Amino acid sequence: MRQPLPIANPAFKRHESFLVHQRFLYLKVSLALCAAALFAYFYDDPAGARSGNSLTGYSLGVLSALLILQLAWMGIRKRRYRSRLGTVRGWASAHVYLGLSLALIAGLHCAFQFGWNVHSLAYILLLLVIASGVYGTVVYGGTPAQITANRGLLTREAMIIELEQLNEQSLRVADAVNPEVHRRLLHSISHAHIGGGLRTQVFGPEAARFEEEAVSTVQFMASQIAGMEHAAQKAEQARGLMDLLAQRQDLAERINRDIRLHARMQVWLYLHVPLTCALLAAVIAHITSVFLYR
Amino acid sequence: METIFKIAIVGSGPAGLSAAARAAELGLPHILLEAEAHLSNTIYRYQKGKFVMAEPSVLPLRSPISFAAGRREQILETWNIEARGHRINHRLHAEVTAISGGRWAFSLTLADGEVIAAEHVVLAIGLQGNIRKLGCPGDDAEFVQYQLDDPDAYQNEQIVVVGAGDAAIENALALSGHNQVTIINRRGEFDRAKGANNAAILKAIETGGVRCIYNAEVAAVEQTPRANPPGVLALNTATGEAHVPCHRIIGRLGATPPRKFVESCGVHFPSADPTSLPAVSATYESNVPGLYIIGALAGFPLIKQAMNQGYEVVEFIEGHDVAPADEPLLRQKFRTLPGFRDVNAALQLIQQRVPVLAPLTLLQLREFMLDSEIRTPAPGEVIFERNDYTDSFYSIVDGDAEVEFELEGQPRTVKLGAGEFFGEMSLISGRRRSATVRAGHGCVLVETPRRAMNKLIHSVAAVKRVVDEAFLRRAIESGIAPDVPHEALAELAATANLLSFKAGDVLFKEGDASDGVYLIRRGSATISRTMAGREVVLAYVTAGQSVGEMSLMSDTPRSATVRAAVALEAIRLAPAPFRGLLVRYPAVRGRMHEQFRQRVAQNIDAQRQSERGGIIGFLMAQGVGEATDVLLIDESLCVRCDQCEKACTDTHGGVSRLDREAGPTYQNLHVPTSCRHCEHPHCMKDCPPDAIRRSPGGEVYITDACIGCGNCERNCPYGVIHMGVETKSQPSLWRWLVFGGREPGTEGPKVHKDVAKKAAKCDMCKGLPGGPACVRACPTGAALRVSPESLLRATRKA
Repeated sequence: MRQPLPIANPAFKRHESFLVHQRFLYLKVSLALCAAALFAYFYDDPAGARSGNSLTGYSLGVLSALLILQLAWMGIRKRRYRSRLGTVRGWASAHVYLGLSLALIAGLHCAFQFGWNVHSLAYILLLLVIASGVYGTVVYGGTPAQITANRGLLTREAMIIELEQLNEQSLRVADAVNPEVHRRLLHSISHAHIGGGLRTQVFGPEAARFEEEAVSTVQFMASQIAGMEHAAQKAEQARGLMDLLAQRQDLAERINRDIRLHARMQVWLYLHVPLTCALLAAVIAHITSVFLYR
Repeated sequence: METIFKIAIVGSGPAGLSAAARAAELGLPHILLEAEAHLSNTIYRYQKGKFVMAEPSVLPLRSPISFAAGRREQILETWNIEARGHRINHRLHAEVTAISGGRWAFSLTLADGEVIAAEHVVLAIGLQGNIRKLGCPGDDAEFVQYQLDDPDAYQNEQIVVVGAGDAAIENALALSGHNQVTIINRRGEFDRAKGANNAAILKAIETGGVRCIYNAEVAAVEQTPRANPPGVLALNTATGEAHVPCHRIIGRLGATPPRKFVESCGVHFPSADPTSLPAVSATYESNVPGLYIIGALAGFPLIKQAMNQGYEVVEFIEGHDVAPADEPLLRQKFRTLPGFRDVNAALQLIQQRVPVLAPLTLLQLREFMLDSEIRTPAPGEVIFERNDYTDSFYSIVDGDAEVEFELEGQPRTVKLGAGEFFGEMSLISGRRRSATVRAGHGCVLVETPRRAMNKLIHSVAAVKRVVDEAFLRRAIESGIAPDVPHEALAELAATANLLSFKAGDVLFKEGDASDGVYLIRRGSATISRTMAGREVVLAYVTAGQSVGEMSLMSDTPRSATVRAAVALEAIRLAPAPFRGLLVRYPAVRGRMHEQFRQRVAQNIDAQRQSERGGIIGFLMAQGVGEATDVLLIDESLCVRCDQCEKACTDTHGGVSRLDREAGPTYQNLHVPTSCRHCEHPHCMKDCPPDAIRRSPGGEVYITDACIGCGNCERNCPYGVIHMGVETKSQPSLWRWLVFGGREPGTEGPKVHKDVAKKAAKCDMCKGLPGGPACVRACPTGAALRVSPESLLRATRKA
């Protein structure tokens, strides 16, 4: 897991990741729930096979439904900014560990009997929600430090402003070198894109194109300089321009990486939340059908 | 024959205008002199459409000129109409350059050489001073301006900005978007400006956004009416003359503070402190007989107060005895005073009983009492509790009070009697109360808020001296030598020096010979040591702690460098009497020895964790040294969800006080742009209605009295105060879930332009049970609020 900040001080101990919240309180609660469920599952040996129809099955079903409600309530709690019902960090901690335990508890509830029906659909949706949540927890663990490292001391806004300034500056220098260089650079700048749609944000093909564009411009400049052997001052300006272009290329890469990292950290929620809604609908259908048609 | 006016009024602001109107009403021969081309220049120079408040609301207005809260334009128009209506004899463009003579025979010399004779002079020139003009031929040409209301009003012009301060830089940058801007700097650098402005203008010059001419003096403004652009600015530069054609010249050369002029009239200022103001009598008369001072220059910055004084001063000159407008307010205040008869007797009683208030003039005392409260606590009642963050100052008028504090784990009590005062420790250090104070029998107190007390300390040197002496004595008693009799400390106290340091200044350097022990009374400092050629920060010390006893006791050179982290005040105790004290009193020596031992252990520990020193150094550079509570974000945990900002927005009427992303980062420690609740809040410095307060819990917050002037926003060096309009309506979570619309935690709808903006800053959610919403809403545990002291003071056990 992450390195704690190097401050040996009790005041900083209050500060801990949601995963270690209160000395793994909710991990312990989840493990206890899982142990209790496993015990009930194996202790209870109903006539016939184990199934969701037994008393244990019903009990585990009720427990699972309550857990789903509690987990879905996270969306409400985190927007109730005045709430004193625990802290959002505590809720996030419980959300992760209780959510994981649900995969087992819900499985025990149906005694791992699956078929082509709404009941199994609910379980599959549950696993998808949990899987997306696991992905989220993993990216939450690693990405933040990568973003900080990539940004250096700049905010994204500052990086974009600097990029614009580098563009302007290099155009001004290019103008002094020769019109061909200016034209080429203008083309390069007008074809450079930052960010893009969801797909491009996450996977970044636009970024690749931008970088390609930048590389080809740099190569073009190199050939220009080679042709300027006899014009010392022009060559000097062109070299200055090369430096600017290199800075510009580096900055553009960093901005796109920043966008990509942010997008990866958020994109899973676009699966997690709708899948949760679908799960809730499926669970309602499952419960209704169980009570109507048993 | 030359006219001799009964009253000459200098300055046509609220005070001067009101005085002139009253004089006109009474039919007195008067003249109102205004340097500018319009009346009431300070308000004229407010931003367009600014909403002007009428504080304090309890004070009745007493003036022939009307005034109520409203828009700048509305107020100026009313005043212009009423000035005409009252047939005020006024003269514009009449800058007074000298006042000489005395009562019945004053001569006022104007800038154009004309001399005006008057029997009495009322000085109502405020504190803004006269705007510095270019000071060359043609500097009043139509296209020369000394103010910029709206930079977007100019497009595609060639504009010259003259000046190198913040105003000049900000104007130049704002205009450079749509215009060709040239900035003229008299010197070779922009180092007078704020760091951010300096960097921004240098960048703009480098990238060609703004052209700069350095080392240039303005020589003349020439009009070229037929050419385009219609003007030329002639300059003397290092390389010879230069001519810059332009459409517009904006002079931002600051203003001449009025003090020099006022002093040249013979008026004394009580101290060299730049905030000090001349003392005036109960009838507003200065030390020059016949010369009266009213308004901001006399220490009354609010419009209504100034207007009342304008009315009263004319009455006083006429020999009428008017009770001041604040009489009923004071009577109300004194009602709780045992045996109260009338206001003047009560004021006299307080002045007799409390020596620290003796040097005040009657007017100062009235003002002081208007800000203060009379308290008659029951015996045993707690006045303030140890570790509270309150900062008011208490004078004992009658009865006694008990001070309870702890020394080395032992509770101790000291009794204070009538005439003594307490509370100066927190007032000066800006830190928590160091003791609990309980009322004794028959206790009558005057409780004075921090601002009123600071104002008094700055304007009356005698009060400052008494308070400083008491602070010194009590600091030595409580921190170093509690068991030593007063007389034995006299020598130590007599040789003590009060020293001030700016942020970054060195108190003493590693390797220096010892020049005494430094008792820090305000601000904080870092202790650092050079290791492998690099200065490494070992520790952080705050007000109330002492440094430098190590080398004094071991008689060796300084083992570390102590540097002020923020503006700092320290008392230096001379080595010889201090050593004498150690020899005579073993208990003091024992205490010092223990402190010595702890510090050595602490330093060794700190050297082991050198990374920690980097963090202290970084935090100090962010000004955390003056913070009492700071929001930090551990970026290795922060998933950039902005829950903290949303929580702030949601709990504060749709206006977030927090900018998560902005602010510096060191390793993974991020200091977002959010209030640090400074020990001596910069925002409190210049708040006309005194709307910024500190609660006992330490939160610095803004009350509803805010008039939206924006001073705090400008004074905050950390950029954490913004002007905004809060909404009362709160979005419903369920409505948003089902129907969409405004999500909780998002900004409120843009409000109508006519609603006055007010200052918004972090109040640490003091109204919310459960603590700061930003921290409570963080899902990953990245956000935390800590006091730098608990964060940075090395653990003693380690």
